[in-house]
Amino acid sequence: MKAAWWPVLVWVALITGAVWFTGTRLSVHSELGDLLPEGTTATQRLLLTQVRSGLAGRMLLLAIEGAPPDELARLSKTLGEGLREHAQIDFVGNGMQVLSSEERQVLFRARYLLSRTVRAETFSADSLHAALEQRLDELRSPLASMIKAYIPTDPTGEFLGILQSWSGWESSATHRGVWMSGDHQRALLVVETKAAGFDADAQEAIQRDIRASFHRVADGPSPSARLLMSGPGVFTVEIQRTIEREVWWLSTLAATLVFLFLYASYRSWMLVLLSLIPLSSGILAGMVAVHSWFGFVHGITLGFGITLLGVADDYPIHLFSHLNKQASARATMRAIWPTMRLGVLTTAIGFSSLLLAGFPALAQLGLFALAGLGTAVLVTRWVLPVCIPAGFVPREIRTDLLGTMAYLSKAKVVVPVAVVLATIVMIWSDTPLWEEDLAKISPVSEEKKQLDQQLRRALGAPDMRDLLVVEAATQEDLLERSEAVMPQLDRLREAGALEGYDLVSRYLPSHHVQQERQQSLPNSVDLKDWLGEAVKGLPFAPGLFVPFLDEVEVARRQPLVDRDLFRGTPLGLKIEALMLEDHGRWVAVAPLRGVVDRQGLKAAVAGWGESAVTYVDIKEESNRLMRDYRNRTVQLLGWGTIAIAGALAIGLKSLSQLWRVLVPIIAGLIVVVGILNLSGESLSLFHVATLLLVVGLGLDYALFFNRVEDQGEERQRTVFGLLVCSTTTVLVFGVLACSSIPVLHAIGLTAACGSLTCLLFAGFLAGQDSHVS
Amino acid sequence: MNFGTTQTRWIFVLSVLLLAGNVAEVTAESSLSLGDRSGNVWTVEQVVASLKEGREPSVSFEEATYSSLLTEPLIVRGLLRFTPPSTLEKEVLEPYRERYLIEGDRVTFESERKHVKKTISLEDYPALRSFVEAFRATLTGDVAQLKKVYETTVDGTSRQWTLLLRPYDPAGKSMVDYLLLSGSEGRLTTIAIRAPDGDRSVMTLRRGPSK
Repeated sequence: MKAAWWPVLVWVALITGAVWFTGTRLSVHSELGDLLPEGTTATQRLLLTQVRSGLAGRMLLLAIEGAPPDELARLSKTLGEGLREHAQIDFVGNGMQVLSSEERQVLFRARYLLSRTVRAETFSADSLHAALEQRLDELRSPLASMIKAYIPTDPTGEFLGILQSWSGWESSATHRGVWMSGDHQRALLVVETKAAGFDADAQEAIQRDIRASFHRVADGPSPSARLLMSGPGVFTVEIQRTIEREVWWLSTLAATLVFLFLYASYRSWMLVLLSLIPLSSGILAGMVAVHSWFGFVHGITLGFGITLLGVADDYPIHLFSHLNKQASARATMRAIWPTMRLGVLTTAIGFSSLLLAGFPALAQLGLFALAGLGTAVLVTRWVLPVCIPAGFVPREIRTDLLGTMAYLSKAKVVVPVAVVLATIVMIWSDTPLWEEDLAKISPVSEEKKQLDQQLRRALGAPDMRDLLVVEAATQEDLLERSEAVMPQLDRLREAGALEGYDLVSRYLPSHHVQQERQQSLPNSVDLKDWLGEAVKGLPFAPGLFVPFLDEVEVARRQPLVDRDLFRGTPLGLKIEALMLEDHGRWVAVAPLRGVVDRQGLKAAVAGWGESAVTYVDIKEESNRLMRDYRNRTVQLLGWGTIAIAGALAIGLKSLSQLWRVLVPIIAGLIVVVGILNLSGESLSLFHVATLLLVVGLGLDYALFFNRVEDQGEERQRTVFGLLVCSTTTVLVFGVLACSSIPVLHAIGLTAACGSLTCLLFAGFLAGQDSHVS
Repeated sequence: MNFGTTQTRWIFVLSVLLLAGNVAEVTAESSLSLGDRSGNVWTVEQVVASLKEGREPSVSFEEATYSSLLTEPLIVRGLLRFTPPSTLEKEVLEPYRERYLIEGDRVTFESERKHVKKTISLEDYPALRSFVEAFRATLTGDVAQLKKVYETTVDGTSRQWTLLLRPYDPAGKSMVDYLLLSGSEGRLTTIAIRAPDGDRSVMTLRRGPSK
């Protein structure tokens, strides 16, 4: 007898170790970005990098409303000043000045390299004369004070030209110096956070600080003023918190229902508690396995995974249901073990498809479920029987179950009819079979999406859907390519195909262009001659332009500028956002604003004949990404089923048995898809992944239904056990189907329908001969 | 992106000019009914009251800019207009056409020759805003507001007076040393603005074609 206890000792030791490990080492992440795939094409990878860490993801859009315009302006200013001090905020734009005097000085010194109007003709006597006449006009105008200080050093006006060409955000209306919506109902601000948009915890902290700052400035003086916030970071926090909240209450509800149901089935709290042992061991094992493989566990994996592992409760349920007076718990376990083993093996094959799908979120979930199931079944096999007191038998099983079973078997014809109906539904239904629009499965509320669109339009900010991507091997090549693209984009804008664009070469010229500009600067002797000629007849004070001559001479030898010049300034941030290094290549990302005809634009860009320049519709691209992963998962589902069939053929050693096990599952899958379609659900990646779970569940049912050993009472116990298993599954996933989060809803609905359908179909098709009493 | 304090300065000058235009709309007749008729020393209150009283919708100007950058002054001519309560306009007619319009908080600059139309906000420049508000205070007879922003000194008699304004505000001081308005009775004849670097502009006002 003593030998029986060693698995328990091993288990206690392992569990202690796992508890220690999870308590001290486990890191639970909350960054949604960690669950995103890498992408299969270079464009997808780039797009995902952008979404993860790029400016697009880090931008928060703020609006203040509910007060008179003057008060809104005051609030915007005070809030902006406060936020600029925040360590986690890179930049705050609300219409106020953004260049410091130091930054202006740096730019001024580099003006001959940066200005687009610098070329050899700029310094000819004629051009200089025209430029000087222009300066005189400006001196006559109220503009005088603005440009006066620059005339002696910059008579050709390069510096102001640069600033003018850079000025962005011009489309926003202003009131009292800050951006406002056209109707002056909302003050508008843009905040760039240091943290990535997907970093839910960091984003939440920043957003909390922003709200707190707002309340400090608004409370008291304008109690009616409200702060609205939008942007990817806000969505992230909303998604994360909704998931956490729902997972929490859904699992509590599901667990309560399952416990009550288990108690009702066995009338023994001890068994309910015992059923927790495999489950909790499985959860621990899942956490340790995911952490060891991925280096972290995502909060969402934990939430979903624990729900998914509810399936592991089936194993102790089988054991409990087969307990009887004649045999010990260990003997009972040994009797059902071959069937359970085959069930676990085939379920594991199903779950491993999740691992192979290449989608990090699903891979974590797959590993978690795989490790959890394995552990749960081992604990059920070796630990649980030892814990059940000798001679313990749960309440007697009702005998009329078999009669019901006989009815089921007679109604075999339901299966082909259901399959045919489901097929007809799929062919004729108005609901598309596949969900092609990723936005539809986003958990962000419609109201929030609309606010985001409103704020983006009011701010003239791109909605981050349309991008032009320029690629090159080096930074210099990239800048040269971008320079070549600019005139093309300008033509498109003039033609009305787009409203505007932003591109790194607007701010940072390539070295090639800088060199050209530098070489076009005349030597001091020539310049002095030309200037002397140019100034004739104009009332400028003698010797006024000596600083100009000196500075051109200096500029002829000054080092070329690169993006280091701007580092740490708002302009530097802009450049970093528009130009990035991705897997050893350089990529410029140009957000396009106001694209009217996406197909037309795509064709126009393709027509440039430049393979390194592509137009990307982010929406289209992300939909394609999800589609790719879904197709891959569908393929894996097919291969998985074949592998499972192979494993079953070997395990069952009987073609007729294999037939009875496989057919209900395949029929079940078809019918589940039909039911989903009928209820208006189009299939997404998440539905498909859950179908794998259904395959696992269905196999378990079918295998138990077709146990050769089953006779009389044993048969009753099997049927009872299966009913309990299926009911708990339907309870758990039925609860999940009530979730407002589309992904949870998809998983819940699919698994609940699948569990029920597979149970019924396995019952319909179960072998008649094996249960004649 | 904004261009910093240099822009502040031109807007300031511009608004001062515009406001001066309104102030200039003072007629001899109206001034007669006000203040002292015997040539005694005027007070700020009297000047402001007579200027408000004599306000006209339009007046022509000639402005000379004297700068250390130049060997001779530059001249422009045009019209100044005021539409109560707060719209000010300066239209340059010679030697080129340009228009500056201050409506409430917004300043619109328009130039046919340069094909430019640009709108900015006074509020970008708090110092400037205080100037504009002070001038509006003058036009509406709000002496208290004027005295809050400027140190005011009145010299001369009702027939030949000067009003010297020196900003209190440091930001204002960095842009303008002083404004010197001079006139006779309720009629403003010149506005001189002197910058801290010694450059100055002098605007001479004549009653324009009335509409």
